[in-house]
Amino acid sequence: MRADSGPRLEEGPSRPPRTLPPVPSQDDIPLNRPKKKKPRTKNTLASASLEGLAQTAVHRPSEGSEPPTEELEEHLEAPVQKRQKKTRLPLELETSFTQKKTSSPSLLRNENGIDVEPAEEAVIQKPRRKTKKTKPAELQYANELGIEDEDIITDEQTTPEQQSIFTAPTGISHPVGKVFVEKSRRFQAADRSELIKTTENIDVSMDMKPSWTTRDVALSVHRAFRMIGLFSHGFLAGCALWNIVVIYVLAGDQLSDLSNLLQQYKTLAYPFQSLLYLLLALSTISAFDRIDFAKTSVAIRNFFALDPTALASFLYFTALILSLSQQMTSDRIHLYTPSSVNGSLWAAGIEEQILPPWIVVNLVVALLVGLSWLFLSYRPGMDLSEELMFSSDVEEYPDKDKAIKASS
Amino acid sequence: MLQTSNYSLVLSLQFLLLSYDLFVNSFSELLRMAPVIQLVLFIIQDIAILFNIIIIFLMFFNTFVFQAGLVNLLFHKFKGTIILTAVYLGLSISFHVWVMNLRWKNSNSFVWTDGLQTLFVFQRLAAVLYCYFYKRTAVRLGDPRFYQDSLWLRKEFMQVRR
Repeated sequence: MRADSGPRLEEGPSRPPRTLPPVPSQDDIPLNRPKKKKPRTKNTLASASLEGLAQTAVHRPSEGSEPPTEELEEHLEAPVQKRQKKTRLPLELETSFTQKKTSSPSLLRNENGIDVEPAEEAVIQKPRRKTKKTKPAELQYANELGIEDEDIITDEQTTPEQQSIFTAPTGISHPVGKVFVEKSRRFQAADRSELIKTTENIDVSMDMKPSWTTRDVALSVHRAFRMIGLFSHGFLAGCALWNIVVIYVLAGDQLSDLSNLLQQYKTLAYPFQSLLYLLLALSTISAFDRIDFAKTSVAIRNFFALDPTALASFLYFTALILSLSQQMTSDRIHLYTPSSVNGSLWAAGIEEQILPPWIVVNLVVALLVGLSWLFLSYRPGMDLSEELMFSSDVEEYPDKDKAIKASS
Repeated sequence: MLQTSNYSLVLSLQFLLLSYDLFVNSFSELLRMAPVIQLVLFIIQDIAILFNIIIIFLMFFNTFVFQAGLVNLLFHKFKGTIILTAVYLGLSISFHVWVMNLRWKNSNSFVWTDGLQTLFVFQRLAAVLYCYFYKRTAVRLGDPRFYQDSLWLRKEFMQVRR
């Protein structure tokens, strides 16, 4: 729009007054308006033709109040306007200084007759923009919702001369308490002070967030699991000890009363097998966590160095395999019926074949579990996972700090 | 960047599925009053493992390392978890199919053979290892270094290329 309007404007002075552009029709109005914002043309444009053109464009909305004949007169009396402009110039400078922040488009439209004005305004605005840029961005953001004093026009400084020509009045403006915020595709009125408060709160929460990062969540979960593991180590050792004591007590002296053991223990066998698996699984995972089993080289080195924690995890894993291998026997004990009953799994004499190895395995499991617990309690605070998984951050942070210091 | 609340939610979901897995592995043998109960437990367990695989892969896709195209680095770091989880899923499904096939007529019968016992031991051992590796991976993926460019990432990348 500006590209093709520019040449037309500059052509203006060279043309004789006879070749005035025709009085613009309604369609031309929007095209002409932006032209006026160009400060460069305003100073050079002394020709009455263009002034008239612009003025008609501006006055169009208020045509009803002014007789159309006046327009025609203005076109014809171009030299007269020139003189008028000269006289008005200082006055306009005054107004532009006093009304620093009056809305410039409306002013331009109103005071179209005086072309010098926008240029002056541009000169005045420049230093103000500069000062704004130098402000820190945060301050600008914080003040965004506030009211600038410059925005409020309290006094109407319109000269009688202006009033006669410029019909659009600049009313007195007030600071409004409401701000219109777009929520779900609708603008809703919100209280300015509350909005400022909420934005401040958001700032505060943004500041709070870095204190609880995902790594902290991971670390707390890891530590919580270590606590569960610590509990299960002790509980497992106690359970295994209790189990083996119960078995030996029920079996009697020299394992002489095996049928009594089967009858008494059959309700207990399967639940205990399940509980043993659960606790062994938890303990093994916890022990693996402590030696950071996933880093195999470190784990194997620790094992050969007879590190108590590495030994403990190995013993737990062995106990787990042994315990699992007794699943079939446990189920057989669980389904025990005396050999006299039809379809019994326990034929006469089979008890002596099956039970002694099962008791020995249980004893070994109890010993392994007890030993692991002792080994672990030798160094209860050891946790290679935590050290290795989150250690490289410690290495990284000094670098970051250095970088920050260097930049500052 | 990974949000703390999102990560907490995902981590708790993962731990819920893991604990369900551990619970079924421990106590499914006790809950065999009717074969249907075991069937439902086993189906949910297998789906839980599958869900965990999907979640861990979604977490991988969310990392900066993956988005930067360094898939190989991620695979190199977590190949143990990926392989073990796949193996465990296979073992679980095969064990469940076998046991349900034998117990469908009479859930309280003695069905154990040497083959079933062996499969049972391997499946339960894999379960423990899976639980350990999966938990470790889920916790490690909470490290903010996976979600931003850093010196550490560049170093790791150079190590993998060597």
